[in-house]
Amino acid sequence: MKMLMYSRLSNYPMITYQWITRHLVLLFLIGAFPVHAQELSPTPKRLQTSDGNSTRWARTAVELPAQTSESDEVKQKPGLVSTAAKWLRKTTELPGDLQIHGFASQAYITTSDNDVFGNSDKGGSFGFTEAGLNASMRPLPRLLVSAQMLSRRAGEGSTGMPRLDFGFLDYRLYSQEANQFGIRVGRLKNPFGFYNDTRDVAFTRPSIMLPQSIYFDRTRNLGLSGDSVQLYGDVAHSRLGTFSTQFGVWLPIVSDKDTETAVFFPGMKGNLSREVSYIGRGVYETNDKRIRLAISGIWLNTDYNPAAGDTAFGKTVGAGSLQFSPIYFSAQYNAERWTLTSEYAIRHFVYRDFGNEKVDSFNFFGESFYFQGEYRFTPKWEGIVRYDVLFTDRSDRDGSKFVAENPNAAAHSRYAKDITVGLRWNITPEFMLRAEYHHVNGTGWLSRLDNSASEGPLSKHWDLFAIQASYRF
Amino acid sequence: MSTIRACILYSLLIFFLCNKTEVWASDEFEIITHPGVNEKEITENSLRSIFSMHLKTWSDGTKIRVFVFPDDDPLHQSLAKEKLKVFSYQLRSNWDRLVYSGTGQAPIKVNSSEEMLAKVASTPGAIGYLRKAVINENVNVLQIK
Repeated sequence: MKMLMYSRLSNYPMITYQWITRHLVLLFLIGAFPVHAQELSPTPKRLQTSDGNSTRWARTAVELPAQTSESDEVKQKPGLVSTAAKWLRKTTELPGDLQIHGFASQAYITTSDNDVFGNSDKGGSFGFTEAGLNASMRPLPRLLVSAQMLSRRAGEGSTGMPRLDFGFLDYRLYSQEANQFGIRVGRLKNPFGFYNDTRDVAFTRPSIMLPQSIYFDRTRNLGLSGDSVQLYGDVAHSRLGTFSTQFGVWLPIVSDKDTETAVFFPGMKGNLSREVSYIGRGVYETNDKRIRLAISGIWLNTDYNPAAGDTAFGKTVGAGSLQFSPIYFSAQYNAERWTLTSEYAIRHFVYRDFGNEKVDSFNFFGESFYFQGEYRFTPKWEGIVRYDVLFTDRSDRDGSKFVAENPNAAAHSRYAKDITVGLRWNITPEFMLRAEYHHVNGTGWLSRLDNSASEGPLSKHWDLFAIQASYRF
Repeated sequence: MSTIRACILYSLLIFFLCNKTEVWASDEFEIITHPGVNEKEITENSLRSIFSMHLKTWSDGTKIRVFVFPDDDPLHQSLAKEKLKVFSYQLRSNWDRLVYSGTGQAPIKVNSSEEMLAKVASTPGAIGYLRKAVINENVNVLQIK
């Protein structure tokens, strides 16, 4: 097996070289297209730009209406877009302030080694599709009702079967100036970090793949949403800024194969049942929203129900409980052109009362963090750079202790360091294209369902390239 | 290997620096409301909260209905920067967070000054913004405290 590994490693630079060249060409093909599109942009736009300059310096009553009518003309988009816009306008006039929104995204992912969302290492795959449709309504001024159906196709873990993503009532108990307080009941998105609430909507994500160290796609269903009662409040101060909090009592969604494969040890074939869990987040924002700080915490409780003949590490396993309690620290700085974001998580795992010495000894802290920079070259073009790190066990960052205890395991399955570079093109407010490249050292966050043992050992160093098209309304 | 990665980065940089940036123009404009809205003046905080879609009712308990121009409209950019003191991309990401987590609604988009005037004048609880030259007596002007 060692021989095999070495031969794979020595082949690695060659393969990657060709692979990158191929994608470089691809990236430029993508890139060259908008340059032409921009050059061909209609002259009224340029006129408007120069007009804007002159009106700024010399505002006269004559110039103003002229400019208004001109910018209105520019907004008349032909064909499909304007038809869609007209239809949208109609939907906004539905009774009870009913609004309908949705999104659909399709990605193409190719990897040098290892599989991400389908069979991505053999010529790439179109296995990552996300679509959602939501409706919201305000039957009373203080009452909001909303629900969203979500379909997600991503490897073995998500088949694309539509499910209720959220569906709840939101009642505003108190509202005075910019201070409010309310309650939400139903299935709610879990408020943690900056991105979890809307993680399946490509437009709201900084990249095609969210930083996996914090927003695991492997155990996503566990952390995504749950049936809960949530209290929320916003307090605004004219100088200091806004402080918003959310606190919820919830029942997590645990019946999920990907999650179980991620948290069970080999030989465990039972299932998880949900227990009352807690979640909370506090966000501070300055009034200009330049600085955003957040702290979130989850106290997730689940019970393990063993199957007949369950074993782990050569001994029997009984009913036990698994606790997962991560704390997230998030910080963001927003300027006109650029945004810097960083999040740090410390994740506590405890396995208890399994009646199996080895399983019960698992009590460790995982650690995750990333640094991310986004730059808006123009309102239409954005670039992103990110460094994302995961340690499954922070007391064993290189996995050596784990390998010493489990000789068949690979050290690189205990960490992952991901360098990401990406590019986003907002063609219209509704339509977006983007591309990104990842170089990853480690396999810590790869889905074990997508990378089964039968496909051979995973590669420690690997690359991922992805492009995505997304539409929303 | 690293040379290739650097190449990608540099070429992207060059590519973008060559792109022309769009001008985010400003103009003289006012916040307007439906004539039935009692408020005649408002704090900057409340105004920001309204356009962020967090504040949902006027002081008399009626629904607030927010009308905006598209994100890339120069007047919308000016509203964000000059009246709300935030960047328009932040308004958009805030609305998206609300809409796609179900915790709020998006403002209603209008595509022309005529449409803005007509909608605000005819929708109870409406709030919007318009260039001074286009505003008429069918809507109220809301002053910022």
